[in-house]
Amino acid sequence: MSDTILECRNVTKSFFGVPVLRNVSLTLKAGRVLGIVGENGAGKSTLMNILGGVLRADSGSIRLGGRNHAPQNPAEAFRDGIAFIHQELNLFTNLSVAENMFIAAFPKTRIVRLPLIRRREIREKTRALLASVDLHVSAESLVEDLSPGERQMVEIAKALGAEARIIILDEPTTSLSSRETQRLFSILQRLRGQGISMIYISHNLGDVLRLCDDILILRDGRVVGEGPKEEFTLERMISLMVGRSMDQLYPSRSARPSGEIVLEVKSLSEPGILENIAFQLYKGEILGISGLMGSGRTELARILFGLDAFERGEILLNGEPLKRCSPHKRIHRGMAFLTEDRRVEGLLMNASVEDNIALVSLPSFARALPGLVNRPEMLRAAGRAAKAVRLQCSSLSRQTAKTLSGGNQQKVVLAKWLLEKPSVFVLDEPTRGIDVGAKFEVYRIMDELAAEGAGILFISSEIEELMGMCDRILVMAYGEIRGCMARTQFDKEKIFRDALMENLLP
Amino acid sequence: MLPKNHGNATDLTSSVPVRSRAVWRRLLFSEHFVLYLSVLYFLAVWPFAPRLASPRNLLDIFSNMLPLLSVAIGQTFVLVTAGIDLSVTSIIALSSVFGASVMTSDGGLLSGSILAVPAGIAVMLATGVAIGLLNGTAIARLRMPPFMVTLTTMMFFSGFAVWLTGSQKISGLPRAFVGLGVGSVGFIPYPFLIAAVLATAAHVTLSQTVVGRWIYAIGHNARAARVSGVRVNRTVVFAYAASGFCAAVASVLYTARLETGDPVLGQRILLDIIAAVVIGGTSLFGGKGKVLWTVFGVLFITLIDNSLIMLEFSHFTIMIVKGAVILFAALMDALRNRLLAAQ
Amino acid sequence: MTTRKGNIVLFVLNNAPLILFAAVFGGFATLSPKFLAVENLVNILIQSASIGIVATGMTFVLLTAGIDLSVGSIMFLSAAAAGKLIAGGQPISLAFAVAIAIGVGYGAINAFFITRLKILPFIVTLSTQFAGRGLSLLITQTRAMNLPRLVEVGSSKILGMPAPVWLFGAVVVFAHVVLMKTAFGRHIYAIGNDAEGAKKAGINTTRVVFLVYVVSGLCAAMGGLVYLSRLGLVSPKLGLQREFAAIAAAVLGGTSLFGGRGKVLPGTFLGAALIQTVESGLVFIKASEYVYPLVTSFVIFFAVFVDSLRHVKLQQLKRRRIRVAATG
Repeated sequence: MSDTILECRNVTKSFFGVPVLRNVSLTLKAGRVLGIVGENGAGKSTLMNILGGVLRADSGSIRLGGRNHAPQNPAEAFRDGIAFIHQELNLFTNLSVAENMFIAAFPKTRIVRLPLIRRREIREKTRALLASVDLHVSAESLVEDLSPGERQMVEIAKALGAEARIIILDEPTTSLSSRETQRLFSILQRLRGQGISMIYISHNLGDVLRLCDDILILRDGRVVGEGPKEEFTLERMISLMVGRSMDQLYPSRSARPSGEIVLEVKSLSEPGILENIAFQLYKGEILGISGLMGSGRTELARILFGLDAFERGEILLNGEPLKRCSPHKRIHRGMAFLTEDRRVEGLLMNASVEDNIALVSLPSFARALPGLVNRPEMLRAAGRAAKAVRLQCSSLSRQTAKTLSGGNQQKVVLAKWLLEKPSVFVLDEPTRGIDVGAKFEVYRIMDELAAEGAGILFISSEIEELMGMCDRILVMAYGEIRGCMARTQFDKEKIFRDALMENLLP
Repeated sequence: MLPKNHGNATDLTSSVPVRSRAVWRRLLFSEHFVLYLSVLYFLAVWPFAPRLASPRNLLDIFSNMLPLLSVAIGQTFVLVTAGIDLSVTSIIALSSVFGASVMTSDGGLLSGSILAVPAGIAVMLATGVAIGLLNGTAIARLRMPPFMVTLTTMMFFSGFAVWLTGSQKISGLPRAFVGLGVGSVGFIPYPFLIAAVLATAAHVTLSQTVVGRWIYAIGHNARAARVSGVRVNRTVVFAYAASGFCAAVASVLYTARLETGDPVLGQRILLDIIAAVVIGGTSLFGGKGKVLWTVFGVLFITLIDNSLIMLEFSHFTIMIVKGAVILFAALMDALRNRLLAAQ
Repeated sequence: MTTRKGNIVLFVLNNAPLILFAAVFGGFATLSPKFLAVENLVNILIQSASIGIVATGMTFVLLTAGIDLSVGSIMFLSAAAAGKLIAGGQPISLAFAVAIAIGVGYGAINAFFITRLKILPFIVTLSTQFAGRGLSLLITQTRAMNLPRLVEVGSSKILGMPAPVWLFGAVVVFAHVVLMKTAFGRHIYAIGNDAEGAKKAGINTTRVVFLVYVVSGLCAAMGGLVYLSRLGLVSPKLGLQREFAAIAAAVLGGTSLFGGRGKVLPGTFLGAALIQTVESGLVFIKASEYVYPLVTSFVIFFAVFVDSLRHVKLQQLKRRRIRVAATG
């Protein structure tokens, strides 16, 4: 019925003798959205990097619109009509929207032999492109002033401007609010109607089912399932991805919270950010915080952990007030914090895994005098922590954090806190960007920690996982707590309504 | 398959190139690479300048190395935090002037007193630490870029030293102080002892203590370090204070050897210091560096300086060759890293 | 209410270079009213021309997150070569052409090591700084050269304005147009923002970075010639540590050492003028020569401090947006 626009046949690729893609074939038809899912390391990004000209296949053929496609670099793939929108957007934040659109090929005019950019032309064209994705920002505004969702739209507009026939989207929704995600989807659906094909990669299987026409599942570099989406259910996708059937997405909670308060927040306020936040976290409890991007949940976490200051209110950790803004002191008093951005704030990417795990608890391994670190003991402890989180890596001392998969990186971040035996964990999006199998392991670690008596503050934008893991859920919007419900009252719709309070504002 | 009795012979012939390649590889990727490079250079130049290997000259190389080594060790601390300290030369000059004006018999504050020498040295070290603290505070607390902070403090304190003395050198330093530069315990010269103690202390601090490990963590990623409980501000201030202290120790060694307080002391060695540390293998981007590497880097730079003088090159030829050699060392390093990455 | 106060603070911080410039100017004018005489103002411009031109080239390099520590040596080498030729009886135009060619070639050597052999700019330009100074000393045999004939060129006037001022203005305006209005210029900013991304976007980053160091070499050579024709003297200290002055001028004007941020106009122009104004002002009020570096370095320190304050303040304001939407 519709024409095939992209066809891969038996694409194979290995790194240092380790096969990453084995005979992968796929077909993309004009005006359809193909969802590609798989665990981290299944080969999704390698495949996309080959299509996008970042890598070259060892063998196999790729035909784009009936012609052989073997781009030598990303720019060439882009010219051939494949636009690759990476998870970390490829925009220059210090340039204007219009400049970003035409960065690879500015239209020029020569004045006294000086090739000047046709400013008006790129402005006009940009304005038209922005209108086609319903983005109402000036073509002259700097990208750094735009929100993540707006930047995503700029990328798509840029792809349209280059008359891309295929748009590859890699985890496009991780930094978007749910409203921005809605908008992205409606734009993508409209583009599909105009005959543009898309490849959509995401760990969020619900989104994939919602948006895509066809689904392709990769495991260990092989295609293990493909077909129109009607043939798939969430459960079937997961079992294909993981290679076994997962009877449940969340571990059953092994213990109930006790009545002892470990963290209490009283009328916490910071002008412009938080207003009158109050809650209690009990020993052994997992307390969820739901809210949209920009609802103040991350800011709350940072204030609790002493990374940012607050003006009024009180934070009591194990009954004692926390005053000064100092993560070092908080850790000393028994608090742990897992940041939403593990690349920037979670890990020393170029340091070894063991150096990462040992970082938090270094002072505890220092002998009082002369302050030297007891390295053998520290390394043994790091090894134990790695084992506790079931970290998979070839060498704790030689492998750097950068070389681990997302899921294993997150385990390293968790492992480094375990050595200090904190009583309160503040986890900000602990499962972001990691695959189904690793997610389950993170949940299991959370359950174990709670069972051992820690209080866990679990911040997430995925309501399902909050409902799956938490004892109670708080809903935040505009820097306030707008609702609180216990496990028996969990109601997805009510959480949505509370989070979207803006509708009720005048 | 070859018959067994031939096995030995074939093994030997085939393994020679393999083994020599392995040796080369080990040399190239060793962390003592710069040391080997220095030795190689020494052997290559020796035939052209036989005096190079005379005991007197070897001693000269070592004693020239020591003050430079002191500053370079401090610089290593700062570079590992992903910072830079351009103010070290001004610290050397100002310490020298301050120390000398305390000690000099020519109207010094404590001239003639038995306290003159200890007080003078204390003032010198305190000057270094104070300027280091100022740099560190501006960088850590006020979030100013290290390059600009230390560039301006360098200009300021160099200017201050000159202004204070009206460009005059201060002589008449007490004999006990001058003895630091030339005296020895048994056959070990004082400067060597001082530099050895400093290097050992710095090595232990950087590799074995909490603050040392924190310095590396900050160099890797200061934000992640802060989230992991590293006291980033204090540690950065410490690194700059350490750099100031080491520069002041160098000032003591230089001043004692020259027997004068000199307001432009060390002005020309700023880039030598940074080049030595970087050639040793410490990264300008932070997170990577060792005191031992710096020792090799300083040895290399000093050796080149000395050998070129031995070869009776003119002052300007020395500069040209030195530039080329630094570039060559950097090229080797880049090549090494590329080979290492390809492995 | 608080936002309005915040806005005023931000306005002050955002325009700090300009305000600082005005303050320094006003300060000297009150100390010595003659400071504002047209003649003196033109003098400041003439004197800042040399370092201003060098700083313009430096701005190109800093925008790519690079650094060029060799500009002082390039100034010296090109001036020394020109001086030698003129002293040998060659026409001035030939001498100047050779000097410019030396600057371009020097920059190309830096660029070759940086882009082709992938060595850090800091190390490359540090090495060529040594080598260049050595070479210049070799040419001049470490003696000072007097060339009074050149001062006529330096003080010649076109339409009532001295030639160096014209050249300064032309370089700054041309550089501004290149940076703001051409693909080359915008690519420089893109590379400074994200070098890897720029390569992915199809920008020929090697070529752009190469040219940036050539531009810096060219500007340094011009700066050296301007200096030479103002004083008519090649001394062994010519250009010594001028790389720091050039970097300071660019940073004072708001250029970031981390790339991607900064402008030649008004930025670097103002920065160079500010440094020179401080020095000329000190001469004017007959301050001791020893005080110059103290005051200059303090002014630079203060400007960098204000800039850091601005960053912190901006971060804070960006953070405080959550509840604005709810209440406002």
